[in-house]
Amino acid sequence: MSLRSQLLKGVLEGCILSIINRQSTYGYELSVRLQEFGLSDVSEGSIYPILLRLQKEKLIEGTMQKSDLGPKRKYYHLTEDGQHALREFMEQWENIKLPVDNILNKGGETD
Amino acid sequence: MNSKDFIKLNNDMREKLSEENKEIYEDMLVYIRLSGNKSEQQTEEVLFELLEHLLEAQKEGKSARDVFGNDFKKYCDDLIAEIPGEERSFALVFGGYIVLYFLGILSTFYGLGNFLIHQFFDVGSSDYTFSIGSGITVVILDLLILSGFIIFVLRWLKNSTFKVKKPNKWVEFLRLWLISMIFIGATVGSPIIMPSFGSEITIPVLSFAIVGIIFFIISFILNKKFRITK
Repeated sequence: MSLRSQLLKGVLEGCILSIINRQSTYGYELSVRLQEFGLSDVSEGSIYPILLRLQKEKLIEGTMQKSDLGPKRKYYHLTEDGQHALREFMEQWENIKLPVDNILNKGGETD
Repeated sequence: MNSKDFIKLNNDMREKLSEENKEIYEDMLVYIRLSGNKSEQQTEEVLFELLEHLLEAQKEGKSARDVFGNDFKKYCDDLIAEIPGEERSFALVFGGYIVLYFLGILSTFYGLGNFLIHQFFDVGSSDYTFSIGSGITVVILDLLILSGFIIFVLRWLKNSTFKVKKPNKWVEFLRLWLISMIFIGATVGSPIIMPSFGSEITIPVLSFAIVGIIFFIISFILNKKFRITK
């Protein structure tokens, strides 16, 4: 796997955890949210392998619930481990965001 | 919800897909279901999610290609890699169920058939003499032939997915017919060509039917208890 897609995968995992943490949600809605936030490059289906992995790592859990209108859906919520992983991701992201932005903007020049 | 409930729901909801989306989705479904020793529960849950997603996308005029990308096989492989394996205990129950069911059919028909032929046409004997050594070998051999047959058919089904050009139905039918004939021939033929070794015993031929029916009952109970097929 290329470094680029690995980077994207890690970031996407963090974003998914964050969205689910705000409100328990199901697959289709999750993909709509990601697109709304501007991650339109991500193909819709690519969230499902990630959701499976997050379940396998016990960071999220799915339960079948009847939606207001329409059929039953699998709603995901974060587990305790998931909340821990989200906090960790946010910390790491904070640490990396500013330096990377600075490097990219100034082409690596230090003042 | 149990995996069997998901399968039923999936069968109903799949009908709402458009012709083109349905063809692609059903290929994905077969390919993913035949991916080997994966948790049936997790497999059916994610298949159901994909179906719901595709139905929602369809409402907005999107195609399967828009949702899953252009390489469906690659997408399915990525998905399969993340599905957890089946629990060993269930895999054992499932294997036991198939073995009992298969031996049940074989034994019942053999016992009942020979008994009736003897009763009505006075052909053969109501007793059956066999040697223990070759008897056990034949049973093991038949089970090996059965597993070979199952593996072949599953591979064959999996390979039939994502084909741009659909193969000729008659050629496919003939091929499967031929394989089935070889399977049945090998199963029935193995006791005939097996040389006898080990000490010989004689039992009434009808006892095969009784053993077969007991196997049936056990496999039926297993099926009820663990929801293997329904």
